[in-house]
Amino acid sequence: MDDRFVQVGIRSVAAPTEKKAKWYEGKPLVSMAVLAVILLGCLFCGFFLPKDPAYMDLYHANTAPNAEFWFGTDAMGRDIFSMIWYGGRISLFIGFFATMISTAIAILFGAISGLAPKWLDDLLMRLTEIFLSIPNLLLVILLQAILGKANVLSISFVIGITGWTSIAKVVRTEVRQIRNSEYVIAARCMGAGFFRILWKHLTPNFISSIMFMVIMNIRGAIVSESTLSFLGIGLPLEIISWGSMLSLSEKSMLSGAWWMILIPGVFLIVTLLCITNIGNHLRKNVNRRQSNL
Amino acid sequence: MNRKNPYVYYGKKILIFLLSVLLLSVVIFYVARLAPGDPLVSYYGDRVEKMSMAEREWAEENLGLNDPIHVQYLRWLQNALKGNFGISFKYKTDVLEVIGGRLVNTLILGGIGFVLIFVLALGLGILCAWHEEKWLDKLICKVGTIISCIPEFWLSLILILIFAIYLRWLPSSSAYSIGKAKDISDRILHLILPMTIVVGSHLWYYAYMIRNKLLEEVRAEYVLLAKSKGLDKKSILFRHCLRNIIPSYLSIMAISVPHILGGTYIIETVFSYPGIGTLSYESARYQDYNLLMLLCILSGAVVILCNIIAQTINEHIDPRMRENESIETTEVTEIG
Repeated sequence: MDDRFVQVGIRSVAAPTEKKAKWYEGKPLVSMAVLAVILLGCLFCGFFLPKDPAYMDLYHANTAPNAEFWFGTDAMGRDIFSMIWYGGRISLFIGFFATMISTAIAILFGAISGLAPKWLDDLLMRLTEIFLSIPNLLLVILLQAILGKANVLSISFVIGITGWTSIAKVVRTEVRQIRNSEYVIAARCMGAGFFRILWKHLTPNFISSIMFMVIMNIRGAIVSESTLSFLGIGLPLEIISWGSMLSLSEKSMLSGAWWMILIPGVFLIVTLLCITNIGNHLRKNVNRRQSNL
Repeated sequence: MNRKNPYVYYGKKILIFLLSVLLLSVVIFYVARLAPGDPLVSYYGDRVEKMSMAEREWAEENLGLNDPIHVQYLRWLQNALKGNFGISFKYKTDVLEVIGGRLVNTLILGGIGFVLIFVLALGLGILCAWHEEKWLDKLICKVGTIISCIPEFWLSLILILIFAIYLRWLPSSSAYSIGKAKDISDRILHLILPMTIVVGSHLWYYAYMIRNKLLEEVRAEYVLLAKSKGLDKKSILFRHCLRNIIPSYLSIMAISVPHILGGTYIIETVFSYPGIGTLSYESARYQDYNLLMLLCILSGAVVILCNIIAQTINEHIDPRMRENESIETTEVTEIG
């Protein structure tokens, strides 16, 4: 330290240590961990399940949680602990698959609408509005009826093709903003086709702004599946999912079997909450300045 | 945008509205008839199975189900324009009569629910913005996130389980006890649970939106100016910031109508509340075509109308907005 500085009264200050943010800082760790446990548990449920989830043990129907049946059994004597993990697989699969379908439709539709001339764009947007104005529940019932008896794939399809509109609108707005930028024009001049421009130039630009909505779409699809199954228009009882487990709950309410309502519901909600937290984290962070108030 | 001539401006909007409703009716008509299922079942019930082929033929002819779809549609349209929407196959009376009895129930549930959401969300949002980043704000946000993750039907089940089955304070279904249709206190008692769910499941989203909009607003320069002039926090927030966000809140609430409406459908079904929701659920499942058509058009028209209102509000706030620019929402689509 140079002496001169000390004389004029400047204290030596230790150089601020560069505090490097660890990779995990600011990330929703708890949600990620819980979701990982649920995901892994559902994926590898075959290795640790104590019971066959589909086996109906009629001697032990409607049993409250005990040492043998950790989460109790349902009205048909199936072990709820096994059903939870096994059914979670199907619920989560529907969530992801439906979201893939709706995201694909949304990107395609949004990009076409964003790149199209004004009249076509107006027309497409008007059609979206009409599509949106049909009550979703009715649309799903009718589409499901056209497709026949519900199974995992058909229900994902129905949920997928009814849930793309909000993403499509965002994609359209983003595409309209960047469609006249130089690199898109350059690519077009070099003879790039629609899909090449979409995939190489547009998608990387808008993917971050729809990521939050895509994650939320997974959540929405899982909720939809459980609601539909609960109402009796989704998966039948034989196909175990969180929704179809809950569809028994109205009957179990009268017999006081709280575990049949509470346990699948809690698993469902915890999963949804984790997905929401992760989604919120992905949302673009707003630059928070000091409040003027 | 044609500001000079309001007739052209609003005429165009009305035209768009009518065209949209027309197109909507075509879509519903085709989709409903493509869905397999026997509309005769909803008309004749179990007797259909005992019918001979000739009787079936006659019945289908009688209900006009044999013609190609576009002929059926044109006939429906002709009658509908005269105000005759046909009869409900299931209830065997004019669909207007069937709906009329139920519409009031849904309007009570949805309408009061909507107003409550509107007011409470505003209040909660302001409360959060006032106490930004303090414990109250954090608590409300956390609770809101958790409740908004709970599916509506499950929340209904839990509340029914607690208040109707264990505590026996409130009835679990329907809109009134048998024979007490005119008793207002009885109706209110039946309304409490469904109303709680309608409000509780939607409130948080809008409150959070108000909070964020307000927080953005209080960072504007004019707030600093007002503060330096000596205005206190309360009058800045209420007289300046709030005023600036109200128009955009109005337009968002107008778009939110379908979501709240859709939520009401599911809640009505869970509570077997005799409203439009349960009725349309039945009509879609049992191919009650005429009833389904009118219900879809009715709710669709409300939604389209609200969209147009929202657009008009937005254009008046921000003239830069082009006439046909659709309004962005980041609403998560869920069944409803």
